[in-house]
Amino acid sequence: MGKDRDKRQQAKRAVRALRAQEQRRQRALWTSILAALLLVIAGMIGYGIYLTQRPPAEAAPPPGATADGVGIPVGSGPVTIDVYADFLCPICRQFEENAGETLDKLVAENKATVVYHPVAFLDRYSTTQYSTRSAAASGCAAEAGKFREYAAALFERQPPEGGPGLSNDELIAIGTELGFGDTFSKCVSSGKYRSWTARVTDEATRRGVVGTPTVFVNGQPVSADPQAITAAVNAAQ
Amino acid sequence: MGTAARVGLALVWLYAGASKVGDLAAAGRAVHAYQVMPYELSQVVGAALPFVEITLGLLLLVGVATRLAAGVSAALLVIFIAGIASAWIRGLAIDCGCFGSGGELAAGETPSYAVDIARDVGFLLLAGFLLLWPRTRWSVDSVVNGGEESDG
Repeated sequence: MGKDRDKRQQAKRAVRALRAQEQRRQRALWTSILAALLLVIAGMIGYGIYLTQRPPAEAAPPPGATADGVGIPVGSGPVTIDVYADFLCPICRQFEENAGETLDKLVAENKATVVYHPVAFLDRYSTTQYSTRSAAASGCAAEAGKFREYAAALFERQPPEGGPGLSNDELIAIGTELGFGDTFSKCVSSGKYRSWTARVTDEATRRGVVGTPTVFVNGQPVSADPQAITAAVNAAQ
Repeated sequence: MGTAARVGLALVWLYAGASKVGDLAAAGRAVHAYQVMPYELSQVVGAALPFVEITLGLLLLVGVATRLAAGVSAALLVIFIAGIASAWIRGLAIDCGCFGSGGELAAGETPSYAVDIARDVGFLLLAGFLLLWPRTRWSVDSVVNGGEESDG
């Protein structure tokens, strides 16, 4: 008799243990499914946020921009030199110092048209999105008809990475020295060409430009130094 | 040991996600620098990844669905390692973009692919450990399951 009861209790316990184990397994399964769902939703939220931040594809370029709207042409020579640069990028400043004169000379000799693409790759390297603000200000300078002069001045006064960069007032002051008026000041303080800058940056990446400075001569990538550019221009003529 | 692995991996993901989440366009550019997918897809991956990383980090930190989180971590890390290796093999000169930044390196900068891969292999070991032994102390999983063996 006693033995029987023992057995029955043992069986009951085993069943209970099994059921508990089954319950745990179920719970673990559902937890995993929910967690997986959570990861998918998190990813979708990320893309959703990105979509709201994306520039409108038709963000208006400054007057005088190239037909595709994402470059500021300087000169009218037959060979096209595309230059992608970020006003905060130290190597771009070096490029301006080393190759700026060469580019200006090629334009002056009417050998080449230089198409400048002011991209904002380095917004994370300033506390105030200096890349975007300076590139947008260069759009205002294009509106005023002196993009090249303004861009050179921006490189000359390039702030260090990691800080606040130049303030909008300082960006305006540089324009004032070049003779820009009220329209320019308003353009800079209102950030008129911010979304255009985002569009230029987006199009640059689409083209495969993922670093600055990047140079193309008639569509072919060329090393960003004056000799290579001059050689490529001569070869293209 | 298990708890350390779980929290360690959690912090890695949280840091990796947080370093990218502030500039999703830049994250997309960092992905596109690998030149392995069309720009549209790079943008999707770039925007989604930081949020997935942060969510993984939170799951691991509190210890919910540890085995799944470890599995997803391992899968992501294998993809990252493959990506870096392929950039290396193709001779690209890019920043891995693992913790923010990313994109092409400036002339004169040398890529640090070996270091990046070694680091990711280390993280992969942590994920593998948790995949095999997901039960760790101070996790929600262990509270919910009352300290018993589970296959969560």
